[in-house]
Amino acid sequence: MVLLVGVIAGLLVGLLRAWLGKKSLSVPQLNWIWLVLIAFILQWLVFIWTVSSRILPDRWAAVTLIGTQLLLLAFAWGNRSKPGFILLEVGLILNFLVITLNGGLMPISPQTVTRLFPNASPGSWQIGERLATGKDIVLEEKDMRLGWLSDHFLLPYWIPYKVAFSPGDVLIALGAFWALAWPRSPE
Amino acid sequence: MRNIVRSLSLNAVKLDSRYLRLILVVLTLIMFVIGAGAPMIGGGFGG
Repeated sequence: MVLLVGVIAGLLVGLLRAWLGKKSLSVPQLNWIWLVLIAFILQWLVFIWTVSSRILPDRWAAVTLIGTQLLLLAFAWGNRSKPGFILLEVGLILNFLVITLNGGLMPISPQTVTRLFPNASPGSWQIGERLATGKDIVLEEKDMRLGWLSDHFLLPYWIPYKVAFSPGDVLIALGAFWALAWPRSPE
Repeated sequence: MRNIVRSLSLNAVKLDSRYLRLILVVLTLIMFVIGAGAPMIGGGFGG
């Protein structure tokens, strides 16, 4: 996933900085990690594990997404003094806002879906419906609330990996990068 | 579960294992970005 690039890049930069500076890598002490674990497990059950994701109603998906994002907000708030976590918090808030205002799922336009899935069979997705078993709901831009915060960014065409992401996702990736690349606050 | 995570975290500190703490932090951030983010991945779709 595109967000994992932020984590991996931050880790590599942090290790490189420690190696170049001949210092031990500073590892942040995180609080309330269990909140993240619970949120991840719930989302894995609803959105990723095919056994459960295919049978759970869309309403459960929306409730789960909002509920788990609240857990993650609490985690980010509890670690707000750590470098990078303000960005993580702001990015998550932006995603949370647009998701909550659009029925509990991240809105995505039909135009973006077409670019993501150019070979999708007719009828495999519909406007107003959740997109497969993911976190997105297909909405016309005129029907979105805070549409500018929706999944509308796409990677350059020459990158074979196709993904749509939001402004909140960008901040989350940057925050994760910062947290690992510069784990200590600048003195 | 909370106690398990707390126990794991405390043991990591007690052992003063920097690498174990790093793994814990990285895994936590990975789970966070997966949960907090909402990117939609393209490719093959539909039946």
